[in-house]
Amino acid sequence: MISRLRGLWDYRELIGNLVARDLKVRYKHSVLGFVWSLLNPLLLMTVFTVVFTVMIPNYQVPGFPVFILCALLPWNFFNTSVMGAVQSISGNGHLIKKVYFPREILTIASVLANFCNFLLSLPVLIFFVVLFRIPLTVWLLYLPLIMLVHVVFTLGVALVLATANVFYRDTTVIMEVVMQAWFFLTPIFYPIDLLPEWGHPLGIAIPVRRLTYILNPMASIIASYRSVVYGFTNGAPPAPPAPDFLLRTALTCAICFLIGYAVFTHYSARFAEEV
Amino acid sequence: MTVIRLDRVAKCFHIRPDRPRSFQDLAIGFVRRAQRPADEEFWALKDVSFAVDAGETLGIIGANGSGKSTCLKLLTRIIEPTTGAIQVQGRVSALLELGAGFHPELSGRENVFLNGSVLGLTRREMVRRFDDIVAFAELERFIDVPVKFYSSGMYVRLAFATAISVDADILLVDEVLAVGDQSFQEKCLERIHELKSQGTTIVFVSHSLDAVRRLCSRAIWLDQGLLQEDGLTEAVVTRYLRHVHAREEAEALRRREAEAEPVAEEHPAVVPAVTASESDGAEPESPPGQPPPQELAEEPVRRYRQRWGSREAEIIEVRLLDADGRDSLALTTGQPMTVCIRYRAHQRLEEPVFGVAIYRDDGLHMGGSNTYLARFPIPSIEGDGEVTYTIAALPLLEGTYYLSVAIHDAAEGSVYDYHEFSYRFRVYLGEVQERYGTVYIPGHWGHAVAEGALSEEAGA
Repeated sequence: MISRLRGLWDYRELIGNLVARDLKVRYKHSVLGFVWSLLNPLLLMTVFTVVFTVMIPNYQVPGFPVFILCALLPWNFFNTSVMGAVQSISGNGHLIKKVYFPREILTIASVLANFCNFLLSLPVLIFFVVLFRIPLTVWLLYLPLIMLVHVVFTLGVALVLATANVFYRDTTVIMEVVMQAWFFLTPIFYPIDLLPEWGHPLGIAIPVRRLTYILNPMASIIASYRSVVYGFTNGAPPAPPAPDFLLRTALTCAICFLIGYAVFTHYSARFAEEV
Repeated sequence: MTVIRLDRVAKCFHIRPDRPRSFQDLAIGFVRRAQRPADEEFWALKDVSFAVDAGETLGIIGANGSGKSTCLKLLTRIIEPTTGAIQVQGRVSALLELGAGFHPELSGRENVFLNGSVLGLTRREMVRRFDDIVAFAELERFIDVPVKFYSSGMYVRLAFATAISVDADILLVDEVLAVGDQSFQEKCLERIHELKSQGTTIVFVSHSLDAVRRLCSRAIWLDQGLLQEDGLTEAVVTRYLRHVHAREEAEALRRREAEAEPVAEEHPAVVPAVTASESDGAEPESPPGQPPPQELAEEPVRRYRQRWGSREAEIIEVRLLDADGRDSLALTTGQPMTVCIRYRAHQRLEEPVFGVAIYRDDGLHMGGSNTYLARFPIPSIEGDGEVTYTIAALPLLEGTYYLSVAIHDAAEGSVYDYHEFSYRFRVYLGEVQERYGTVYIPGHWGHAVAEGALSEEAGA
């Protein structure tokens, strides 16, 4: 597996070109291009802000638009990556059947194209941070590290789903539903503090908050983003995520990636026959 | 140096018509506990071994489904062998399906670079080749237009130009020469020949045996996933053609028998005048008042293009014999061929003339003879007999030919029986390898060197 990963380096040019292809094609049709891709998170941000500060003014979170945007943008990256990657193999059958190259390149390029998009949207986030007078701290330097963990996890998920969709074509449909559920189960438009330490569904004691972090790496990743960009809902300034917390998250994500990659390589020899 | 080596390679495809194609099917399958039919296996290649040296040009021939394309795909690593090992050394470029990696929204320029990197070239390497590619594709004016606006010809030209320009050590070509217009095809072949002379190893899969002959020094013949022959192209192609023809012949025979049987069994009662053996050449005569039976009425039309004559004497059977005196419809250039004409004269006929004419499949009259012109008089015939016409060295080149056979009366010019354009046979090249022109003219070459030159040569 290590040598296979190293072999990918030889194909960096192809990855780069495929990413460029994705981006070019996406923005070719509309003059607004990039602005369109920002429209979705900005609109959602507005809606959530209106809902939670005007219509249901129950919990007051300072700088709500920033609170939500610093979680929405990473989630958006994850969501578009996963949905794009699901099709990355099955949608490129013409290539897979005709030319040999490591197949994971297609999935990786698809994720990286969305990552570029994510990076391009960051200035907008910073704009809102400044607008809402949230202090820009040195902890923003944690962002590359968090992003790396985030990308690694996304790749792991993407590789499994890309494989699944080659063999079972309704993976796309299923994932649309799953991603929606995942969105609500992840503390994006609500702070994690809102979750009770313990819940008692059906009379069984469940550590809801801890379980959310353990079972859902996205919860940990989003919490990390929020902690370095936005700070805390009690108005405390941004702070770095606890090192052990970040380490655990990174480890989980790395394992997810390795599993995803192993699944992918195990089945990739059959792709040309199945797509 | 060996650059390609296949060692006991086999490839099995699983044909599972009922394999669940979605999670939905999978779930339904669990609930129903439906019995799934066992996997059907299809071995596209079974135990194939061969090696190709650097600079060699190998053609792969065989019928549809013989495993040619599977073989090529294994070489490109698109699919992996079920068992056995494949070693390929050097950069491989495959002209499998041109323009596979093109994206319609991107311009020709962008696609060339993208395709280049799919084929493993760096940007700098592509920049160096770019002008050549565009010039070869003749697309200077349109290179910045999205390829979705290209005509299919432009598309293919650009794709071929890109694929051919990557300086591969090994070039795999699969039938792509069938695309594009004539002049571009020629240009492509020219380019492939150029690469060949530069020492590129080429593996060429084609249905066009002519193209294989022109390009490849060596050929392998695959049949149902097995390596049948491996050797010089001419020898392999000839043996392959013979095999194809033998199978066609067997098929035709089987069909004829299958058709003849019901005729023999069902109709004697309806057509008592014609016995089973006679029906072989005679037209059926329907009893008065009854329409002619359909099968019988149709058969002679299929067997004979045209048949006419008074039938006082009939041609019952025409056979072709090869050099060994065996019945055959596959003859060899330069080898003997004998036409046997079995006849039946219903009455005594004086001085009949037997004639044979050979036509090429496009209708060109190649030649022929009759017993009158050949001064082989037959005084009279009555009852059954056989006339033979032997050609000592068949001068026909490879192709399909038709035979007309006739019996007529020289004196009065009345025709007893005439089967025109009625017997099909094929001719293959054997020892004789000439293939230009219309006929094979046996000849000998000589060579004499002028005295001075000879002594000079001897001195050196």
